[in-house]
Amino acid sequence: MTAAPVTGDRGNNADDGGIADPGRVEDLLRELAPQVLAALVRRYGQFHLCEDASQEALIAAARQWPADGLPENPRGWLIAVASRRLMDQVRSEQSRRNREDLIAVATPASELLGPPADAEPTDGDDSLALLFGCCRPELSSPSQVALTLRAIGGLSTAQIAAAFGVPEATMAQRISRAKQTIRAAGLDFSMPAGAERADRLCAVLHVLYLVFNEGYTATDGDELTVPALSREAIRLTRWLHRLLPHDAEVTGLLALMLLTDARRAARTQSDGSLVPLAEQDRRKWDRTQIAEGTALVAAALPAGEPGPYQLQAAIAAVHDEAPTMADTDWPQILALYSLLEHLAPNPFTTLARAVALAMVHGPAAGLDALAALAADKRMARHHRLLATRAHLRELAGDPDAAGADYLQAARRATSVPERRYLALQATRLGR
Amino acid sequence: MKYLMLIYGNQEKWASIPAEEWPEAIAKQDAFNRKYQATGELIGAYGLADAAQARLVRRENGLPAVTDGPYLETKEYIASFYLLDCESEERALQIAADMPWADQEPVEFWPVMHEAKPDL
Repeated sequence: MTAAPVTGDRGNNADDGGIADPGRVEDLLRELAPQVLAALVRRYGQFHLCEDASQEALIAAARQWPADGLPENPRGWLIAVASRRLMDQVRSEQSRRNREDLIAVATPASELLGPPADAEPTDGDDSLALLFGCCRPELSSPSQVALTLRAIGGLSTAQIAAAFGVPEATMAQRISRAKQTIRAAGLDFSMPAGAERADRLCAVLHVLYLVFNEGYTATDGDELTVPALSREAIRLTRWLHRLLPHDAEVTGLLALMLLTDARRAARTQSDGSLVPLAEQDRRKWDRTQIAEGTALVAAALPAGEPGPYQLQAAIAAVHDEAPTMADTDWPQILALYSLLEHLAPNPFTTLARAVALAMVHGPAAGLDALAALAADKRMARHHRLLATRAHLRELAGDPDAAGADYLQAARRATSVPERRYLALQATRLGR
Repeated sequence: MKYLMLIYGNQEKWASIPAEEWPEAIAKQDAFNRKYQATGELIGAYGLADAAQARLVRRENGLPAVTDGPYLETKEYIASFYLLDCESEERALQIAADMPWADQEPVEFWPVMHEAKPDL
């Protein structure tokens, strides 16, 4: 990695202006967080101690920089402060006295100061190894998500807890548990090789996609206290795409996020109620994001056999390019879903394909596909299947059966806006 | 996804348990609470006060009217509630089945509604 740290979504630059407003400091710190932690882990190992020390340095910077202005070399400052905190921590623990000597002996004094500001950062690969380490299979999925947001995203435990709507103590437990697992198993943060690397990249993409999807929650508060997770997922995936520009699935995931997020403004009404794709005001869609996402997916697709993220991005692009629901290229969408179903079988893909089938060949064809899916006991009671069947039954001219399905779907939905929407549809059909 | 677990009972039932068995029962429940607080999945475990302390609150002609509760026809009432935050319903059900007294009394299990907006 030779490029200088590139600016984030909103653009930030360490040395312009001179006045450090808290929002810009926050952006800069989040950009530097994984670099600082990666540098520490590379030098000292011991992820759990490095992670604490790096968080403390970030907190110190968030307090001091807005008041005192940015240091000349923010990254070096953070590494120096974090290293000092790490030393304090090691020193304070009697039982670690021997290790302290080892660290002190092993570390040239100049290492603690960080490289000069004009040196090219070399931490791209370290940060990547760190991200891969946060998504190890030994950690549960929520732990992977929490650790990634903290270590790579540079979010505080309080911010992550607020974003997921759990008490800070719960999130703190989850993170410290994950760090204990890493410590107890003696897991290192070197980059996995070969097939393991490919598997781990899948896990990384899954974690980023989980963060993105979690971002639909309504808790869009003050960004400094409740960060918008979708935007954070896009920021991190953009960063990963810069490090791995030739990986088609990374590109596909970034495209998928941009193309999905582009519809955000049209997806809900001012009262928070849902607007389905067919009824969205497409003028509210973000054309810049659509153009970027479409260009990314167009660049990635010819690279070989497309993976699931590229296919989903391609589907989103077809939707986003259609001026109206009726103008949508449904045969194209059906073909893409068929490919996706073949490549990565999943009941929700089958469900989406049933809708495409209905749009191309009529509602009866879609209902047949759903009947096959309903044989799966867990799916038969799922509100998404019931909601889809309701929609297709209405298209087929059976409003009674459609209304009954909407009512059942509403009873089984666990999301408040979704339940409200489904109940409204049932009422509309006389239920 | 969050889940609520409720356990029910009444004074008569609790009085029928010999006093010497209580310390072990409480220790088991404490161990359960610690176990799932440590995984970050148990957000809180709350025991409720005796039914003698419960009230029913209504508003009559715009004024609060408070009477002793719970509902008289209720033979058993809520004794404790537990709030979980789990990756999946399967996992939450697994924790519910791990409740120390689940082999004697059922645990009532409710998914908690959330605000997530799916893509339609």
